[in-house]
Amino acid sequence: MRKHKGVSYAKWGYIFIIPFFVVYILFTLVPQLTTFYNAFFENYRSGLKQIGPNYVGFDNFIKLFTPDKSGSIGMIKYFGNTVILWVLGAVPQVAVALLLAVFFTSYRLNIKGQQFFKTVIYMPNLIMAAAFSMLFFTLFSPIGPINQIILSSGWADKAVDFLGMRVSVRLLISLMNFLMWFGNTTILLMAGIQGIDQCLFEAADIDGANSLQVFFRVTLPLLAPILVYTVITAMIGGLQMFDVPQVLTNGKGTPDRTSFTMVMYLNNYLGTSKNYGMAGAISVVLFIISASLSLVVYKTLSRPYKN
Amino acid sequence: MKKVLALVLAAIMVFAVASVAMAEGGKTLKFYAWNEEFKGFFEKYYTLPEGVTVEWVIVPSDNGAYQDKLDTDLLNGEQVDMFLAEADYILKYVDSDYTQDITAAGVTDFSNAYEYTVKAASDANGVVKGVSFQCCPSALIYRRSIAKDVLGTDDPAEVQAKLDSWEKFNAVAAEAKAKGYYMTASFAETYRPFSNNCTSAWVDENNNLVFDAQIEAWADQTDEFIKNEYTLTAGIWDDEKTAQMFADGKTMCFFGPAWYFNFCMGNAQDPEKGCSGDWAICEGPAAHFWGGTWLLMPAGTENADIVADIMNTFINNEEVCSKLVSEEKQFSNNKAVNAKFAADESYGSEFLGGQNDIAVFAAMTDNIKWENHTIYDQLLNEGLQNNLQEYFKGNVDKETAMANFFKYVAEKYPDIVLPE
Repeated sequence: MRKHKGVSYAKWGYIFIIPFFVVYILFTLVPQLTTFYNAFFENYRSGLKQIGPNYVGFDNFIKLFTPDKSGSIGMIKYFGNTVILWVLGAVPQVAVALLLAVFFTSYRLNIKGQQFFKTVIYMPNLIMAAAFSMLFFTLFSPIGPINQIILSSGWADKAVDFLGMRVSVRLLISLMNFLMWFGNTTILLMAGIQGIDQCLFEAADIDGANSLQVFFRVTLPLLAPILVYTVITAMIGGLQMFDVPQVLTNGKGTPDRTSFTMVMYLNNYLGTSKNYGMAGAISVVLFIISASLSLVVYKTLSRPYKN
Repeated sequence: MKKVLALVLAAIMVFAVASVAMAEGGKTLKFYAWNEEFKGFFEKYYTLPEGVTVEWVIVPSDNGAYQDKLDTDLLNGEQVDMFLAEADYILKYVDSDYTQDITAAGVTDFSNAYEYTVKAASDANGVVKGVSFQCCPSALIYRRSIAKDVLGTDDPAEVQAKLDSWEKFNAVAAEAKAKGYYMTASFAETYRPFSNNCTSAWVDENNNLVFDAQIEAWADQTDEFIKNEYTLTAGIWDDEKTAQMFADGKTMCFFGPAWYFNFCMGNAQDPEKGCSGDWAICEGPAAHFWGGTWLLMPAGTENADIVADIMNTFINNEEVCSKLVSEEKQFSNNKAVNAKFAADESYGSEFLGGQNDIAVFAAMTDNIKWENHTIYDQLLNEGLQNNLQEYFKGNVDKETAMANFFKYVAEKYPDIVLPE
């Protein structure tokens, strides 16, 4: 009798989210836990011989943070490189994307040909990062077109080694990341702005607010959740920066490993020696950094706008 | 019950395999290589038995990618019926249980093959596990017009007399510079002539990294060359170097075997800008070889008979070896065939202005040594050059460059012991 007290629809909710959790556990959680596990083993290949896996405790982490003769610690240097490359690319990326998103969604400006511009700014993202870096590699090589222009117009009497100087390599990498991702960010932010009630903008107008005031007092606070999401995904993507510098510097991170990112470091351990121990240890460090930075960004960016 | 189930499953599998084989009309062999070179020769000059097809697995060798793929598949017991290997890492496979004795499979006649090519494919006990279809003595390739200007002659014998030691080579570099030429076009151009004559291997028996006197000599010479602008800071394969091989190039000397000047130099890449005929070769300051492709027989193959026949064809079949020379511009691994071309006065290379390159190479082969190799050679050679290039470019001091090289070694080969 008590059976038919009520119909529970909740179970359907759970059933519908099962596929996500199955995929998440199989392809994200399990590999992540195995990575943690691997980090505590000596496990690599020497030629065709397999060494290990032997349990070594925290040895891999200690090795990772042992300074070399000159006193620099590889892991920290590559983390620094990654952050510099990311900041150089991400700050203009978010700034430009925000500006474009506001322009495109403004009913006052009412820009014509929006679809066309949206397509064009998204275009670089469609090109594979590897192909994009190859293009830049060719453009800026010592005998490439850029150097030919410089030489023939007499701005320099020797070819400029763009790929051999720290500043230019870092700027090129950031420029490429910027070009590839600002379109994507623009579209995300546009969606965010379009989600804001138009009445608010009109009300602000009627109250006599100027564009700047509208931007800082209406758009930005209401956009905060999307902006936090954008910054966090951009940051995680930035920490995992690999393809562009890898291809541009042929995996060397030249000059003097100043464009060598953390994932390139990880990749060096995985290639040839299949050193799962060291690569696992780097992954764990990377995970801790990503998790704590995301937390910090989330807390600081979302706090001021909370009611 | 379990037995019945196993039998049924086995029967299904046999049936599946058989039906696939029948559908394709026979079996498929899997060959591994890092480029299309040998595939081309193979398809042209070798006729497979009825019903047999070959599937090529081709992965570029850069940064050890080919070795990674091959190693993974060999370790996982995938089907590999034959694979190609280069001098820099052949030892890894030859000195392992993943390759097998080819004499047992029917390749027994090495009388026409050059000794070093056989030695390279033999393990520590002298068991031969593969053959090379080419022999790669590497020559000094010089621009005739520049040699005339700098040395006053372009005759190979006279040029050789003026460049037969490193002292003379270095002295001529200064003369070339004075006339506005570069001696070589890459900081690593002379790496092979030095490194092939090392008296010790990259690592010793305790796995310590060792710097041979020859490697030091190369680094010192290059230091001089860069400082005095006798050479460029470009890498061996960089476009900047290739540009020097065209008609408006200013570089006198390159080093390389037959495959290098026929397929890799500027003329091959852009014949219009090249200067075919304005080149000649001689032995140069130090005998050496560069590259070479060996065919190895994996232990796991079930088609040893076909693979052995392929190997025999490419070293002992006179007709095929002759075609490799005349049609494909290779220096074959068959002494009799090479001798025939060397003695043929009508034979000559158009690129070398009619010079008989086979005769020059044949005379050089006696001086080639195969010794002091390790399984690590490819990446250590690459890594040292790449890291020192930064020093030669002036981006870092030598100490930092070496420290970066050691970091690279530690990442690639955790078992190599680095100097303190």
